[in-house]
Amino acid sequence: MATQPTELANKPKSTSNWRDSDWKYRLGIGNWNPNQQSEAYIFLLLSLLGFVIFVVFPIVYSFWLSFQEWNLLSPPEFTGISNYTQLLTNDDTFRRVLKNTLFYAATIPPIQLALGLLMAVALNTGIKGLGIYRVIYFMPVVTNIIAAAMIFQFLLDKNAGLIPSWVWQFNEATGIRVIPPDFLGSTFWAKPSVVLLTVWKNVGFTMVIYLAGLQGVPEVLYDAAKVDGASNWQRFRHITIPMVSSTTFFLLVIQMIGAFQLFAEPFVMTRGGPAQASLSIVYYIYQNAFEFQKMGKASAIAWVLFAIIFAITFIQIRLQKRWVHYEVEG
Amino acid sequence: MSRKTISLIVMLALVFLTLGNVIAQETTVVTWAFWGSPEELATHQSVADAFMEENPEIEIEIWHQPWSDYFTGLQTLWAAGDGEAIPDVMFLSPISNYAADGVLEPLDSYIEDSGFDREDFWPGLLDFAMLDGEVYGFPRDIGLEVLYYNKDIFDEVGLDYPDETWTWDTLLDAAEQLSVVEASGRVSRYALGMEGGKYQLWVGQNHGSALDDMASPTSCTLNSPEAVEAVEFFAGMMDNDLAMRNAALSQAGGDAAVFTSGQVAMIIQNASRIPTFNAADMNYDVAVVPIPEGGQRSASAAGAAWTMSSFSDDKDAAWTFLSWLALNPEGGQRLYTESGEILPALRSTANSDAFLGQEGSPENRMAFIIEGDNAKVGRAGLFPQWNEINGTLIGPQLQLIWAGEAGVQETLDSICADVDEFLAGMD
Repeated sequence: MATQPTELANKPKSTSNWRDSDWKYRLGIGNWNPNQQSEAYIFLLLSLLGFVIFVVFPIVYSFWLSFQEWNLLSPPEFTGISNYTQLLTNDDTFRRVLKNTLFYAATIPPIQLALGLLMAVALNTGIKGLGIYRVIYFMPVVTNIIAAAMIFQFLLDKNAGLIPSWVWQFNEATGIRVIPPDFLGSTFWAKPSVVLLTVWKNVGFTMVIYLAGLQGVPEVLYDAAKVDGASNWQRFRHITIPMVSSTTFFLLVIQMIGAFQLFAEPFVMTRGGPAQASLSIVYYIYQNAFEFQKMGKASAIAWVLFAIIFAITFIQIRLQKRWVHYEVEG
Repeated sequence: MSRKTISLIVMLALVFLTLGNVIAQETTVVTWAFWGSPEELATHQSVADAFMEENPEIEIEIWHQPWSDYFTGLQTLWAAGDGEAIPDVMFLSPISNYAADGVLEPLDSYIEDSGFDREDFWPGLLDFAMLDGEVYGFPRDIGLEVLYYNKDIFDEVGLDYPDETWTWDTLLDAAEQLSVVEASGRVSRYALGMEGGKYQLWVGQNHGSALDDMASPTSCTLNSPEAVEAVEFFAGMMDNDLAMRNAALSQAGGDAAVFTSGQVAMIIQNASRIPTFNAADMNYDVAVVPIPEGGQRSASAAGAAWTMSSFSDDKDAAWTFLSWLALNPEGGQRLYTESGEILPALRSTANSDAFLGQEGSPENRMAFIIEGDNAKVGRAGLFPQWNEINGTLIGPQLQLIWAGEAGVQETLDSICADVDEFLAGMD
């Protein structure tokens, strides 16, 4: 049987009588009992079980499902890779949603990063009422998406909305007839409108992370640059941007993933329309699964999406050496 | 109180409790599923109570979800396959998908045994709940549309109220006077608010249809001259600022919202809007929908239906409830009708004072009866793939027309090419 170091282990370290204490104890030997592993596993079991049931199993199951045809009601039927081939070769809608999603991925993260950094830098100048600004800009992040989308619908509505109303007022005042864009009702403007809502909703989060990143930029660098006669822009370009590049990298990765998984914004604001102009990949997964009862196809799309996100994240991680600086002072 | 009395009371109590248990065990539980808002839940609850009063041996247990979660919830139960948990009587739409998957009990033999007269359903309505000639459900109501008009706006403009004589041309004449376009170009009032998805009403009126056969289709007929003309009529009203564009309508909160706020003078919608407009104390009435010269009335014979689960463990009890709910003119049909939310599926109930004799607006309830008598089956396809065809091929391309971004003829040609390809690849 294993040794029982309990008595020794319980002995306070500060005891004056060092000679009484066991050398093993002082060297840290025997404090760890290999038999305690079983208890550790029991403690782990609960969360491990949750992980297996709610994460591992669904992932494996969806992979298996992507090779089946299943409408939830009758038993799944094996169809080989036909879900994938049909998706990649003969599905106009999938091509359209892929294009839409690439548009989201190409616009939302860059705009959010640029805007978030600008706001963070502005707020980092030590202006009065910093806390209030931070709250204001962060508010949309915790705003309910449905409420936010409804407000944007109100803002953008062609005839009754606030923003087009400025155009109408301009027309009235000048006698010129400019027709404001139909932001949510035209295939051209639907995607930018969704981007607008998404950026508005999430830029506060980007700003807060950047603010934290900026706190870590040592003041001495700016001071040194100032002494060397660097302008504001030069200091921003050559100190701020490189020094927060690790923050930028983190934000870029998660925002890119987020953009590929965009769902709620087009779902509540445009229903993916008009004419699927704002439909995203995840929305299309939802449609296939719960509107057309094609669980197999929905799973296949999910795995294609996984492959895309994996590839893009992988490339980002490989490229980070070229532009991300991790060196910290000292 | 003596000891004896106390023990006697205790003994009696025990006896009654046991008896109560025995009696309770003899009542059958029928689980009843439907979707609906919290307000509608009250009506459903009163229906269940009325039934249990008449049939104390059956206990109704309600399974209720909001519309957005309802179908997913049921599908999860079916996928799990636990007969105990699957509701016995369910409110469903459309029926064909579920019937094809075998989760619904075929009802023909039950109808034979009950001696119920199928003719009491509006023409075509029962077909909505059929698959391959077999009945799988009973529509609760008929979701046919009528023309709602705001009397105040008509009075303000000085127009006569719509009636049976109105044609598409009369409608256009009126619409031109009802729409208000400001000097800036902003449209402050549209004549008509109508969901783009209801376009088949115009197509049907003009003797067209979406598919050659809505139950077992072989080809798309949306690019036939009749259908093209009808879609051109609807799209033309949008292009000329007479009807609200589809996307604008849904962003503004739907037809009920814009009608209540006076943003539109008329909407074309089913009876479900009546309680809303009455609650808003609107001055409105209804009329039949105007038809083209030489056209036909073409209300849609469709409505969500009560069905029986094929997994039900007590089908007799389920049938007792189902038939009371759907086929008994004095049962569920009457209660739902009196709640003012529906146009009942049974003509006898619709023609009774339960519907015609209701207090308050709209006054011209006969409009519903006229549309009902002329109802046609099959605005939605009566086959399982319809959702996908309509959701990925027809609907999105039509939205291009409603958005004013594509011509009618070429879009309908393109839709038909896609649909024909899909149909050719089916089974």
